[in-house]
Amino acid sequence: MAETFEPKIVAFVCNWCTYAGADLAGTSRTKYETNVRIIRFPCTGRIDFMLLIKAFQNGADGIIVSGCHPNDCHYTSGNFHARRRWMVFKSMLEFMGFPTERITFSWVSAAEGKKWADLVNETTDSVRALGSFTDYKNLDFSQFNQMDHEAIAR
Amino acid sequence: MELKLISTSDIAVFVDGLLKAGKVVVAPVLKQSGKVFFKPVQSFSEVATDYIQTAFSAKEVVFPKVEELFTYQHNEEGGLDIKDQLDRIPETVVWGLRPCDAAGFDYLNKFFLQENPDVYFKARYDKLTLVTISCSKCDESCFCTSVDSHPGDTKGSDILLTAMEGKYYVEVITEKGYSLITSNSTLFTSTDTLSKESFLAKPATQFSMDEIKDRIQNAYASAEWKHASMGCYSCGACAFACPTCTCFDIQDEGTQDHGRRVRCWDACGLSQFTKHASGHNPRNTQTERRRQRLMHKFKYSVENLGVVSCVGCGRCIRVCPSHLNIFENILSVTK
Amino acid sequence: MKQLQDKAAELLENGTVNLLIGFSEDLGKRPVPCFIEKAEEANILVFNQECKNNLSVYLHKKEVKDAVKIGLVANIATLRSVMQLLSENQLWSLTLTYLTVNTAGELVVLSSAEELEAYVQANFPTCRPEDKEMLDKLNAMTRQERWAFWKDQLSECVKCYACRAVCPMCYCTVCTTECNQPQWIKTSADTSGNFEYHTMRAMHLGGRCINCGECGRICPAGIPVHLLTAQMNQEIEQEFGGKTGWSLKGGYAMNSFKPGDKENFIK
Repeated sequence: MAETFEPKIVAFVCNWCTYAGADLAGTSRTKYETNVRIIRFPCTGRIDFMLLIKAFQNGADGIIVSGCHPNDCHYTSGNFHARRRWMVFKSMLEFMGFPTERITFSWVSAAEGKKWADLVNETTDSVRALGSFTDYKNLDFSQFNQMDHEAIAR
Repeated sequence: MELKLISTSDIAVFVDGLLKAGKVVVAPVLKQSGKVFFKPVQSFSEVATDYIQTAFSAKEVVFPKVEELFTYQHNEEGGLDIKDQLDRIPETVVWGLRPCDAAGFDYLNKFFLQENPDVYFKARYDKLTLVTISCSKCDESCFCTSVDSHPGDTKGSDILLTAMEGKYYVEVITEKGYSLITSNSTLFTSTDTLSKESFLAKPATQFSMDEIKDRIQNAYASAEWKHASMGCYSCGACAFACPTCTCFDIQDEGTQDHGRRVRCWDACGLSQFTKHASGHNPRNTQTERRRQRLMHKFKYSVENLGVVSCVGCGRCIRVCPSHLNIFENILSVTK
Repeated sequence: MKQLQDKAAELLENGTVNLLIGFSEDLGKRPVPCFIEKAEEANILVFNQECKNNLSVYLHKKEVKDAVKIGLVANIATLRSVMQLLSENQLWSLTLTYLTVNTAGELVVLSSAEELEAYVQANFPTCRPEDKEMLDKLNAMTRQERWAFWKDQLSECVKCYACRAVCPMCYCTVCTTECNQPQWIKTSADTSGNFEYHTMRAMHLGGRCINCGECGRICPAGIPVHLLTAQMNQEIEQEFGGKTGWSLKGGYAMNSFKPGDKENFIK
């Protein structure tokens, strides 16, 4: 009996808002999908765009990036820098043909436990529908390496 | 040595025959960028013929730009499963090398197969047959005649073809070459020795290695190195395009649970190449790095392995963003 | 040409310049960078449309910086690079004189940063037509077609770092790719590693690249990597305003923000 595909979602969240919001979802005993692994950052401004690519490279099928609402950043302006960075990075990825629908960006505050749960549910559903991210996993074909013999004969 | 002839129109039949027999055929292919690269082909129609030299050499066939040395995986018993590719290398034919490239393979052979032979190189080289085609044209970057070779040289090849009117003159040099011919022997007829001279290109001779071998002994201290390397951008393009550059890095990629060890190309021109763990870098300027590259090619290889490791293909000059000229540099530092 | 050679000789003779970086012809009749320290060598200088190398990258090289007073024969892209470098406080130890040829074919000598700024702003170039054509073609493709295009292109990359080496904006003494604790960017040249490297480099150039196009032109594997930065900078200029290589004042798009930045994808 084949296993049904369950996506792996990695969430990059800021400590002061989204992480606290996720905590609130937990203490409120809100049930939501369990596919997400959370990585806690002090601020979304700390999130290097390379980390998102690394997550995909290590087997993630989808990503959530979330932080404080604009004007509410614990460090005043970290999320403003992050927002600019995400705008540019997203359009860069789209230009390279990367499926940016696998990445969800959001603002979730410490009081929005329900929003967090809904966000995770929505993202899990949409990534499940998109399927496993094989395009990226199949990128590592290197000419003249015999680990993938079929590729040589292609 | 066996001498044969094959008609020009039968070349395609021969190569397609090799493919049908299940061999991997690697030949020059023209890409959209206008550059020619050595790639595995599926039919002779993909092979490029009208070009002076490929952008990169064919050394990837025995020394890939990324080579998985082995993969590891923790198993249920708590041990490690280690797998490598050594017994899965296919029979490969490189078609359309130039004599300078074949001389490059000769050097790679000498370098990798010393007292402790490199098993990865050996596994690939043992399954490889090299079919070279003599050069009928050259450009101002070619200088094989200055480095103990020439456009009709058989050094390093298993078979050397020379295009003559309507046919190819086939010099079968090694056992490997002979077994390739016998796989489709009806296409070949025997012949006596023919003269290749009139069909070969005539690259300008810049110097002779006999002169250089003496003069380079004192070149290390030359004041000309700074000027010779001013234009150098400190990238690895020359080293990666070169048929004889063999420097590599070994990296482990993976997690505690599974991963792989890879060997990948490295270049002495890159600024961090000789950086020590202490932070000290003995070759801290581009002058020193370029000097090292040229001294290695023209002096240290000669002393260590008995052969100059530059084959005069001119790729370094062509791919360099500032077209730094290796033979002009050698001449100026050995003046 | 003679005017350029004479001026160069004069600057070297009277000590305004200790080292002149320009172009000469190699054996293959290609214009290549040359470095002149004596007035009598100035007759090898050439300058025409084929002189595309961005010579400002040499201003980061130790052997060049040691000369302090440097003359640069520059096309407009090179001058814009210098503007961008000046705005990033990178050339403070050098005294620079610039020699260029304007669209009317006249020799122009610029001796100060202010003169440089005025010239650059008066002669600001537009996107090259062949680049615009490629960008339009790529943007008209579907996402899958673009993925296939870049996958095919990036599988050719051998990670020689020539693109980084010729870029005047890539002046980090130790590049991210050379960081190995942790190994941030893979050293091996397989496609996913190449994808990481080129994405990272394009992002690090966001709002700084002046689109000289050298990275793509000199790539030994023939990959048009300059299109990545060209596209990104086009987007940055549209969204956030501000031109690269335009003004001596610093503060570029990715270093700053506006509270009113608008996007349509953050939930």
